[in-house]
Amino acid sequence: MTRLGLTLPRTLPLLPWVARPIDVIWVLVLMFALVAVSLYALTVGSYSLGVAQAWQALWSPDRVDSTMRNLLWELRLPRVALAILAGMAMSLAGLLMQSLTRNPLAAPGLVGVESGASVTMLLIIVLWPTLLPLELYPLAALAGGLAVALFVALLSWRQGISPLRLILVGVGLTAMLSAVADLLITYGNIDQVESALMWLGGSLHRAGWPQVRSLGIWLLLAGVPLLFFHRQLNLLQLGEKVALSRGLNVTGVMIFLLLCSVMLTAAAVANVGTMTFVGLVAPHLARQLAGDRHGALMPLSALVGALLVLAGDTLGRGLFPPLQLPAGLVVAIIGAPYLILLLARQRSR
Amino acid sequence: MSHGLRLPVWLGLLVAIGLAALLHLAVGAKSIPWSEAWQALVAYAPDNADQSVIRGSRLPRLLVAMLVGASLGLAGVIMQAVGDNPLADPGILGINSGAALFVVFGLLVLPGHDLSMIPLFAFSGALVAAVGVLLLAGRGHNPIRLTLSGAMIAALFSAITSILLLLDQQGLDSLRRWLTGSIGVTGGSMQAWVWPYVVLGMLLCLVNVRALNAHRLGPQAAAGMGVNLLKMRLFGLASVVLLSGCAVALAGPIGFVGLVVPHAARLLFGDDYRRLLLAAPLLGALLLILADIAARTVVRPFELNTGIVTALIVGPIFVALVLRKVK
Repeated sequence: MTRLGLTLPRTLPLLPWVARPIDVIWVLVLMFALVAVSLYALTVGSYSLGVAQAWQALWSPDRVDSTMRNLLWELRLPRVALAILAGMAMSLAGLLMQSLTRNPLAAPGLVGVESGASVTMLLIIVLWPTLLPLELYPLAALAGGLAVALFVALLSWRQGISPLRLILVGVGLTAMLSAVADLLITYGNIDQVESALMWLGGSLHRAGWPQVRSLGIWLLLAGVPLLFFHRQLNLLQLGEKVALSRGLNVTGVMIFLLLCSVMLTAAAVANVGTMTFVGLVAPHLARQLAGDRHGALMPLSALVGALLVLAGDTLGRGLFPPLQLPAGLVVAIIGAPYLILLLARQRSR
Repeated sequence: MSHGLRLPVWLGLLVAIGLAALLHLAVGAKSIPWSEAWQALVAYAPDNADQSVIRGSRLPRLLVAMLVGASLGLAGVIMQAVGDNPLADPGILGINSGAALFVVFGLLVLPGHDLSMIPLFAFSGALVAAVGVLLLAGRGHNPIRLTLSGAMIAALFSAITSILLLLDQQGLDSLRRWLTGSIGVTGGSMQAWVWPYVVLGMLLCLVNVRALNAHRLGPQAAAGMGVNLLKMRLFGLASVVLLSGCAVALAGPIGFVGLVVPHAARLLFGDDYRRLLLAAPLLGALLLILADIAARTVVRPFELNTGIVTALIVGPIFVALVLRKVK
């Protein structure tokens, strides 16, 4: 990889942006992989299709019979799209948290977004299953997650956001909220608890076009502006004092980025449940490709995250056929050992 | 810190434990007068229904609560001392969830187990989690990194636990109460298997006390005073694994007790580990008895899980501690 980087020119006149040619190559490779896995994911399931059939149903839906068309367009395609979007959102949120706190172990759920959203959803699913129509669940989770994140940020405020206090207060509050979640899990009706656990594990089984649309809107709202903040992130990486001395409005930028991260996490959690490990692992994988240059790192880690969630969901559907393992849990089991190895190696270097 | 023996504080602590224990015996789904509870202890009459309730179900539960509290408190002291980290706790660092995962795995997957195997499952889980956290956290004394590593390990292990439980719904139904830290479920039968390990863990702590006291001055100073640091750390690790594994085997994962008890003990008795190692189990037992009383009386005649009660009581204390100490 490094040798390749040496033989390629480091800049191209056509790339005035921060990316190097090698980054463009990686983006293309990842996109190709994403398309390939998506095609495969479309064919896996209790009603199996051939890749050729899936391709035909995608591009000329009128020529295939209606069962196959419905299956593909109403069940599998939204699921694949939702997996890609959720992976992008979680991975970007995790990258932001890691850069803001300058800590490689920071997860997107750090400030309590995930636990806030989970507790809200559990309250609704277990205590008042008839309170809200199904379409409003994501909004409720979003509100809960944002409220808890705001509370944590306020508690840890001390003349600006202090990453250290943020992390520790977040850990404490998360533990308390998970006690509340445990309370509901323990005493709720077992069927409702089962469906809530499914949701908490980060499952895509309720995927539909409305979810895809809502997550897509949030990704546009909070994810796209980030691409213009790569310089600020690079500066923050060097430490708050350096960033301050280079004329950066540290507090303002930190608040904005934290807000973006929280919105991305809350939107993803609201639509697909908790997927902590995607946000932890994907940025690290992307760092192996692009180092700490955030201009290239952000698109790369979004793609890696999308690939991870899609692969996790496809595996989770295919391993024990009638049962669908939640994608978040599959990613956790595959990703965590890799992360531990990676960090142990970094430490000894 | 003052150097007196602080006799009144010790006496107060013992009296508080005695009173809390009596209260624990007296309240519950059915209130039993204090005098009756006392009678059941000193002059047991088997034909009296109230007294047999106390002897048969409440006394074992009280003993389990005390044992769990003492183990967790002691484990917390050792972790904070050896790791030189004021925020260490078997729950926060993921050791409890590691032990819980291995117990669940053992119960659901391996055939032909009996109760005596549960502590062994718990020890191996605690050991795996502890080694994982240590690997992740690295050499530096960075409390943040340690806390985050612990949170990650805990998330990983609980993810695997929930996959196991999703695969086996019957298992979920029978284990979900145990998984949130419940003293009432296992009852007295477990105790007999666990006692020897707890005593072994406590002995390891006592052997370590001189090294721990020297280690307060920092690892280099301790090495200069002739302390074998490797031996101290290994003993510490072994006792933490034994003690928190026992607590998990008895009552499921109960968090936060090991975090707060050492701080309270230091506040009351100073920094000398000879006193702390004695005070922490007592304070832990007191805390868990009180939490168990709350768990049994708040929604009488139903019960809450003790682990949930401790998290809800002690969580705010953790946050307050962070807000005061970390600038």
